[in-house]
Amino acid sequence: MTAGWIHHLIIAPVLLPLGASAVMLLLDERRRRAKNVISLATMGSLLALAIALLVQTVTLGFSGGSATRVYLVGNWPAPFGIVLVADWLSSMMLVLTALVGIAGFIFSLARWERAGPRFQALFLLQIMGLNGAFLTGDLFNLFVFFEILLAASYGLLLHGSGARRVKAGLHYVAINVGTSLLFLIGVALIYGVAGTLNMADLATVIPATTGLDLALLQSGFAVLGVAFLVKAGMWPLGFWLPGTYATAVPPAAAVFALLSKVGVYALLRVYLLLFGADVGWTETFGEEWLLFGGIATVSFGTVGVLAARTLSRVAGYCVVISSGTLLATIGAGEGNALAGALFYLVSSTLGLSAFYMLLGLVEHRDADATMGLVAEPVFDDEYTGAMVVDEDEEVGIVIPATIAILGGGFAFCALLLAGLPPLSGFVAKFAIIHSLINPGGSIDASSWVFVGLLIASGLAILIATTRAGIDLLWEPSDQPQPPLRVAEAGPVGLLLLVCLGLMVFAGPVMRYMEWTEQSLRDRQGYINAVLSAERATTVAAP
Amino acid sequence: MNPAFLWVLLSLPFIGSLAVAVIPAHARNLGGWIAGAVSLAGVALTISAFSSVDSGSVLSAEVAWLPSFGLNLQIRLDGLSWIFAFLVLAIGLLVVIYAHYYMSERDPVPRFFSFLLAFMGSMLGLVLSGNLIQLAFFWELTSLFSFLLIGYWHQNESARSSARMALIVTAAGGVSLLIGVLLLGKVAGSYELDAIIASADQIRASEYYTPALIFVLLGAFTKSAQFPFHFWLPHAMAAPTPVSAYLHSATMVKAGIFVLIRLFPVLAGTEQWYLIVGTVGLLTFCIGAWSAVFQQDLKGLLAYSTISHLGLITLLLGLGTSLAAVAAIFHTINHATFKASLFMATGIIDHETGTRDVRRLSGLYRFMPHTATLALIAAAAMAGVPLLNGFLSKEMFLAEAVGHSRGSLLDLVLPSLATGALALSVLYSIRFIHQTFFGPAPDDLEKQPHEAPFWMRVPIGVLVLACLVVGILPALTIGPFLDAAVRSVLLADTPSYSLSIWHGFTVPLLLSMVALVAGAISYLLLRDRLNLISEPPLVRYFKGRRGFELVLAALIDAARVLEDVVGTTRLQPQFRALVAIAGIAALLPFLRYGYHLGPATMTPLHTGFAALWVVGAICAIGSAWQAKYHRLAALILMSGAGLVSCITFVWLSAPDLAVTQLLVEIVTTVLLLLGLRWLPKRLPELWAGGAMPSQVLLRRGTDLILAGLAGAGMTLLSLAVMTQPFGYTISRYFLENAYPGGGGKNVVNVILVDFRAFDTLGEITVLGIVGLTVFSLLRRFRPAQESVQSPIQQRQQSAFDERREGRELGDTLTDYLQVPRVVMEWLFPVITVFALYLLIRGHDLPGGGFAAGITMSIALILQYIASGTRSVESRLRVRPLTWMGAGWLVAFATGLGAWFFGYPFLTSWFRYIDVPIVGEVAAASALLFDLGVFLLVIGATALILIAIAHQSIRTPITPQKWETTDFAGKGV
Amino acid sequence: MEIVLALGIGIFTASGVWLILRPRTFQVILGLSLLSYAVNLFIYAMGRLRIDAPPVVGSEAGADLTQHADPLPQALVLTAIVISFAMTALLLVVLMAARGLTGTDHVDGDEGE
Repeated sequence: MTAGWIHHLIIAPVLLPLGASAVMLLLDERRRRAKNVISLATMGSLLALAIALLVQTVTLGFSGGSATRVYLVGNWPAPFGIVLVADWLSSMMLVLTALVGIAGFIFSLARWERAGPRFQALFLLQIMGLNGAFLTGDLFNLFVFFEILLAASYGLLLHGSGARRVKAGLHYVAINVGTSLLFLIGVALIYGVAGTLNMADLATVIPATTGLDLALLQSGFAVLGVAFLVKAGMWPLGFWLPGTYATAVPPAAAVFALLSKVGVYALLRVYLLLFGADVGWTETFGEEWLLFGGIATVSFGTVGVLAARTLSRVAGYCVVISSGTLLATIGAGEGNALAGALFYLVSSTLGLSAFYMLLGLVEHRDADATMGLVAEPVFDDEYTGAMVVDEDEEVGIVIPATIAILGGGFAFCALLLAGLPPLSGFVAKFAIIHSLINPGGSIDASSWVFVGLLIASGLAILIATTRAGIDLLWEPSDQPQPPLRVAEAGPVGLLLLVCLGLMVFAGPVMRYMEWTEQSLRDRQGYINAVLSAERATTVAAP
Repeated sequence: MNPAFLWVLLSLPFIGSLAVAVIPAHARNLGGWIAGAVSLAGVALTISAFSSVDSGSVLSAEVAWLPSFGLNLQIRLDGLSWIFAFLVLAIGLLVVIYAHYYMSERDPVPRFFSFLLAFMGSMLGLVLSGNLIQLAFFWELTSLFSFLLIGYWHQNESARSSARMALIVTAAGGVSLLIGVLLLGKVAGSYELDAIIASADQIRASEYYTPALIFVLLGAFTKSAQFPFHFWLPHAMAAPTPVSAYLHSATMVKAGIFVLIRLFPVLAGTEQWYLIVGTVGLLTFCIGAWSAVFQQDLKGLLAYSTISHLGLITLLLGLGTSLAAVAAIFHTINHATFKASLFMATGIIDHETGTRDVRRLSGLYRFMPHTATLALIAAAAMAGVPLLNGFLSKEMFLAEAVGHSRGSLLDLVLPSLATGALALSVLYSIRFIHQTFFGPAPDDLEKQPHEAPFWMRVPIGVLVLACLVVGILPALTIGPFLDAAVRSVLLADTPSYSLSIWHGFTVPLLLSMVALVAGAISYLLLRDRLNLISEPPLVRYFKGRRGFELVLAALIDAARVLEDVVGTTRLQPQFRALVAIAGIAALLPFLRYGYHLGPATMTPLHTGFAALWVVGAICAIGSAWQAKYHRLAALILMSGAGLVSCITFVWLSAPDLAVTQLLVEIVTTVLLLLGLRWLPKRLPELWAGGAMPSQVLLRRGTDLILAGLAGAGMTLLSLAVMTQPFGYTISRYFLENAYPGGGGKNVVNVILVDFRAFDTLGEITVLGIVGLTVFSLLRRFRPAQESVQSPIQQRQQSAFDERREGRELGDTLTDYLQVPRVVMEWLFPVITVFALYLLIRGHDLPGGGFAAGITMSIALILQYIASGTRSVESRLRVRPLTWMGAGWLVAFATGLGAWFFGYPFLTSWFRYIDVPIVGEVAAASALLFDLGVFLLVIGATALILIAIAHQSIRTPITPQKWETTDFAGKGV
Repeated sequence: MEIVLALGIGIFTASGVWLILRPRTFQVILGLSLLSYAVNLFIYAMGRLRIDAPPVVGSEAGADLTQHADPLPQALVLTAIVISFAMTALLLVVLMAARGLTGTDHVDGDEGE
């Protein structure tokens, strides 16, 4: 292993799944076992790769050097060729992807993978698209990877077919094809004015632009931003989200929970890099829109959570709330809010993925979880009459292990999403609120509103999930419990365990997030790293 | 003493909880032993620690948790937290012992003990928190575990709903407490308790004082069941009695009181504090006492009496004087002792008689003398009879009430109200005891009552003993502990107070005598009448739970209405929003910077081009116009539009685009034609002849405007850019290096397969994924009923064939396709060669892998059209998936090859060689990559086309046969 | 020329937008195809118009933008064409399936009109 080979670590997370799925295409439909083994191995090594990259980042970062590593695809110098960039943010996102991915895939082995053909290839390509989107440093290449992950998500959404999925799929595909066109318009416009597609190069060109060029450029970025916001599911661009995610098979939905974060990631990446603090016209551009949009989104999600009739719709609206929270926090841009937001991003994504998988079990166990959310109150009066005590009501019933595990998992997910202790949700929410009410100056009205909404959304989630969860898991149900497979309980447990870890080691994790924030705000560092990346000249012996 | 032991103390219950959680469900003894041992150890540790807090010093241990946000785990043990920790652990121990005998044999107690220990730990963490965020953290944990404990018998509906109500109310309170302490921390600059206490004056002075106070109080009041949030507590009586004895006497409900005492030096002493806390306390005190009198359920009675006593403590704190604070702390301790023992006694009664209904109980003394005696003493303490601890704190309270002098009406009202309420508490205490234990033997009981097992009485005995000794020898027993607690809270301004039983004939003494006598007399007068009243007069109209449920229901209904208003599940509104918002977003910058055309001179207009675009415009608008009723026409018109843009590309020196666009055009059209067959016959408008509803007109109007604006926007944008002179662009590099560096003359192709080959790899990946998706979706394809039968023309022909003798079915079809079929079959090799040519020359002249691949798949589909699916597949086996996989691998491997030469992925290598006929060709690795593209494109396109084409030959078919159709098996 | 092309792009866009706002799946798919034509032309236009200057260079070095049209937008358009072709195909199949499963060709799977 020469230094060169280590260097390829950056592109490996994209290539590995591609190669694996190509190989699996050559295998016949009936060779399920082989495919599952290949895919599992791939996912495992993806996790290893991601962790390796993360470690590399941390070591580089703490050794004082720049943690931003650049890979010149095709060995063409930036900004002409396509570059992949591994830095604090992207390494973090890669690990997150790998975690959610491996959990989702193991989960699918229990039952879901058989619901239709070629699931493994689609799943791996989905992961490939995500990794690419997190790594690329080129605007058009970002578009390509968006298309890859979207195409794969269409496949995964329609996996298992059925009227509901196809109906949802029709909307999802149509809207996203439209959005992709917007993306193209934005990118083309930016190229037409700035003459480059490399993000770092753009960052150097932008401050110089003036007059009509400036207007055109901003227009291009605005359109691009809209495309990102559709992905993130911002109100009123995200109506498709809850319904779509609710129809997907649980392992797919688990990955979709991360999908909605790609839009947020792209916003963070592009906007912080291109319009960082030292670029003149930034504060007038975007931020307050993000704040208000985010607030609207959280409110919409809260309403939706309360209104939802099925748990999977509750989950969908939780995704909306989570996106909204991130957008608003980024928009508020107070103090070290960003670090808190990143922490929240990780924690809520893991929580949502776990929740979607869990719903696959719970709602599978009990055909309609809708009864959980009927609006009728239980009328009875103040507690005055004597309690007529029925002896055998006063004996706790032995809870079957299945329900105990499901119940525990459900409770943890609910707490995680509602931002209550003991899992990382509490820390994340505290971090965000802390930085919101400790701004440079005095707390402004929008921050108050946002804090209020954060609280309200948490309580709404608590109300919705307790009602449903109690009726699902505490109602004595006579129907026999299907055995809980390890492949199903395991992944959920894994993700929740990671959340527990995030809570216990909140300090170090948050320090990583703060480094990430710094690196995002240090535009010059990124630009230098990318534009000064050297081409490989070594001709190693074959 | 080494502060490290604090960690042991805190972690013990949690470890115990985990341990109990994993033991088998019916190992009840083991569970009991573990729980008992854990709490006993806790008690021992706490006692051993007293010496070090006695002197007013503070033990604390800290570990970093989230330092950058000022959140560290800090365990802090001082006088106050010592008292509370001791109560939590000691009463916890007694409850464990009691519960071990109380819970039924068949009960899976380990789960119960696990929850109980976890709750104990959370409560301990709460009282030992040196950091207010950490306090809020444990606060929520107590809510959580109390939820689990209240809902322990969750097969019982009331347990479920009460648990949920308790959780939501207290958790909401917890969140507001969090906001409160965040604000305090903002002002103080730290969340550490010491820092906050240090900057008390600063906090009281700051603008955030009032909001902070309100948020904190909301938390405390919900937790400590203060009016109007008290309603959850009586319902929580659905919990097993040991739980009530623990949570609702000594711990859970005392958490709110604890926070009030803890923050007393910070928040108290202001007008707001006095008004809010005092008023709420007074109201709760009176309402609780009043409702308790009318309860028919022993636990209900105790619940309301708890509410009332918590109100009393809150009231004391509200008064804000240091002596009142002393009284509050003292009464907190006393109440814990006598209330816990009373709950346990109730449990025994319930256990032995099977009911808790005072109206059905009577004369139990003769069956259970010990329990009766113990309960009697405890109740006396609750009533405040001299020589018992309740008496002492009540004296202090009355002294404060009397001493209250703000020159307001309250000076007079307070003592009288206090006395009245205390009389009521005497009344319900007597009622509790007399109706249960005295009078004639009960007649309608399920079972013959008898004394409870010894170990069930021990805990009560211990507590009652405490009531006695504290009541008789306060200074010697509770004195030092109370003192330490008081000094840890009030620090410098600790008042001098005496714990002696006898202060001489004072007004307070008089008042408490009045209360005792009044209570006794009113019981004698009302005893029978009380049994007839089912709801407390006056306050019966406040139905907290009903209100809670109604609010929740209203909330959900409102949300459902709102969801339909602010949300949608239909596609069109979403597209409208998308277009509108994108338009606005694109427009905004121009509002700021203005819009004008660039200075660059335009290319002179060629009339042919103009004419071409007139056609283009007609096609586009035409297809938009026809798409609803004449799909085929619309489709053709759209292809026309595509053709126009294709010619435009030729015109504007983009040959590659022209070629590709043309080919894609053909394939897309074929696809759509194949798809058309499955769409329903378009029926005429619902509203025949012009009578179109106005809202439809309106909608179409807006859409028309939206479309117009979008079009105008795109025109203006592109015009502005095209008239801007091009400054910096990276394209220069591509033009300069295409040949020297990439070995190709066709720069576009070099970009595709070399400079930006990574994009191309991604692009074919998309194509591949779509191929897979289409394939898997169509395997489950179910055509709509009416489109199942074969097309009319085909049916006519078949009918014709059947009528004529000597004709095979489908002959007509074969005949009239004779010529085209032959032509197309001969075309196959020709097109193939052309495709390969496109592929090879692609690097230097327009063409390339993608174009070639599409061409090849056109050749394929021509075969299908000419000779029908079946005959084609009988002749050549198409394995699209294999092609795709191969293509992917070729492209992939080409890219990977560079690694072995020490270069990054997709680094190209080339050399020129002369090939006969074709001429000089660049033998570039890029060409190999293009080959991969070629293969994958054939595979994917063919897969899609064939998959759709196949639908016609598999209908009509029944779902059963469906899965087994050989389509998948056919190597596809 | 510029003005004509710009107008053309505008008209394509307008027709496309009008179609995607319609309730029938077939209309939507046509609309999206028209829009993708418009966008392809738009991307091309971002490289400015050139006549008789295809980006095919001679063997001799030193080619530049004065003699050749901007190749990059063309490359982008090619990628865009492929992707939009793929998406059209997918959308077509989805609407066929939706038609089959819901029995209507309304975009919402039920006759909302």
